Amino acid sequence: MLIPTVPETKPIKLSVRNMAFSYGEKKVLDGLSLDIHAERVTAIIGPSGCGKSTFLKCFNRIHEVSSAVNVSGDMLMDGVDIYRGGIDEVDLRRRVGMVFQKPNPFPKSIYENVAFGPRLFGVSDRTSLDGIVEDALRKAALWDEVKDRLKESATGMSGGQQQRLCIARALAVNPEVLLMDEPCSALDPIATAKIEDLIGELKENLTIVIVTHNMQQAARVSDYTAFFWLGKLVEMDLTERIFTTPRVQMTEDYITGRFG
Amino acid sequence: MPIGSTLAHPAGIQPGGSRKADPMPDVLETSLTAVPANGGGGSAESRPTVPQAAESPAFRHSRTHRLADRWAHLAFLSCSLLVVGLIGGILFFLASRGLAAFWPVAGNMGRALHLSEVFLSADWAPSSDRFGILPFIAGSLGVTGLALLIAAPAGILTGVFIAKMAPAWMRNLMRQVMDLLVGIPSVVYGIFGLTVVLPLVSHTWLADAPASGFAVSAVILAVMIVPTIVSLSTDAFESLPSSLDEGAQALGSSRWQAIWHVLIPAARPRLLTAAVLGLGRAIGEAMAVQMVIGNNPQWIALMRESTDRAPFLRALFTPAATLTTELVQELPNTAAGSTWNNVLFAMGLLLYLLTMVLILATRRLGRGKEA
Repeated sequence: MLIPTVPETKPIKLSVRNMAFSYGEKKVLDGLSLDIHAERVTAIIGPSGCGKSTFLKCFNRIHEVSSAVNVSGDMLMDGVDIYRGGIDEVDLRRRVGMVFQKPNPFPKSIYENVAFGPRLFGVSDRTSLDGIVEDALRKAALWDEVKDRLKESATGMSGGQQQRLCIARALAVNPEVLLMDEPCSALDPIATAKIEDLIGELKENLTIVIVTHNMQQAARVSDYTAFFWLGKLVEMDLTERIFTTPRVQMTEDYITGRFG
Repeated sequence: MPIGSTLAHPAGIQPGGSRKADPMPDVLETSLTAVPANGGGGSAESRPTVPQAAESPAFRHSRTHRLADRWAHLAFLSCSLLVVGLIGGILFFLASRGLAAFWPVAGNMGRALHLSEVFLSADWAPSSDRFGILPFIAGSLGVTGLALLIAAPAGILTGVFIAKMAPAWMRNLMRQVMDLLVGIPSVVYGIFGLTVVLPLVSHTWLADAPASGFAVSAVILAVMIVPTIVSLSTDAFESLPSSLDEGAQALGSSRWQAIWHVLIPAARPRLLTAAVLGLGRAIGEAMAVQMVIGNNPQWIALMRESTDRAPFLRALFTPAATLTTELVQELPNTAAGSTWNNVLFAMGLLLYLLTMVLILATRRLGRGKEA
């Protein structure tokens, strides 16, 4: 189901074809095909347990950290298969950043959190690091709040600040894609609004895929919306159309709150 | 019947024998509620008369309970006081005998020693009235430090492996094995050292004579304390949220980088606690060390004299002694009240204080974790 037919000027960044995913014997995703455009925000919505988070995690193969999984079909980034195209998962994760459901800053200073990624990739001189850290914190709209206390522990920040720090940390390695797994589910409305504003700014030069259970949020922040149900893609279209004139009855039932 | 009248009689007794609310708990309550309720009417002719609260069996029951409570309280209190008293008593006993070495006390057979000739001298020859205990202090610190140097990295890495890498079946097995190993009596480790490890290295390029000394003792001690460190560091790593691990790897860390740069620093306070507890166990160990260290109080002098081997080999394989081994060796052979005996007590006191410092250090580290 490759629906978007409007004139799209941005190239396709991620492309999924007939993809299926299973944990051991348990099939979680099946027959998925969709395209994600560069410099756009794509929201994935659907009821709990529909496999939307699992799908997101396939793009940086982070689920391989904790369990044995099996992915079939094609998942391409810039035309290269991220599972079989000879891409090392560590390199992949550098290009595809991720922000998790609950803010997970390292128990280190604010500065060290942001500098963590660049250090891994061999940036060690102080001036470059300082520049990268400031830049990332500015992009994450956090610089003004923390510039005087970069040496303080990140775990002492508020939840919203922690989440923006995690975004800054992901941005510091200059990824091409940013995956966000319900990034506001642990935050209050004000912190949520800040993150949503941020998403709007970040898409200028980043491909963003966001999983959310909050349909208003999907409507506010995304350009495209994909609706998942029971591990299958029901419908994907421009967000505007999904929320006004969905073509599948089930999508309409879900977004009007009749189930899920 | 107005509610007010019930409230006016908290014991639930109505003058006319009719009653509605019974605030008294226990058996009486159930037997009364078993009678069909009759809408608050006054027809209560067949019900048993409820005794005054003070006379009720339930009340007497609770009074005996309170008495028992008081006795239990007393028992618990006296037990804990006994323990505190014992610990304080031991300290007092050690201090009074140990410090007697330095003060002219009545009933002291020997002379009062100067602090510097005990703590700053390496010359231990009690029969010639020379009581330098520096060799034992250095021996204790050396052998435990060396043991920790071996055991801490090994234990912490094993902890990482069990908590973060091993499959479930192996994790369970390893945890149980570690718990078992903690309980093995130290003399067993000593036998192992004496009969297996010592012959293995004696008369080799490492040691041209029997290989007693720091090296073998430290290895045996390390084997002894590794299970403690493994157990505690496994707990430390398991208590870390998996989001830390995922977060690090999502940034492009390899497994090993995530462990080294994120997990170990995050667990540091608890890992330090594990190491210090291991150190505490090592420094107090007498039996296993005594069996393999060689028990030579003059080891510092011996090391200075012999120049035939590389200095580090000499340091590792010269028969030596520690505070604990010297106490075990000599205390039964000295007369109470003699200077020799008093100095041995001073060594005991020193050990006591060292252990105390270590325990306080662990508590501080533990608190640092919560802050």
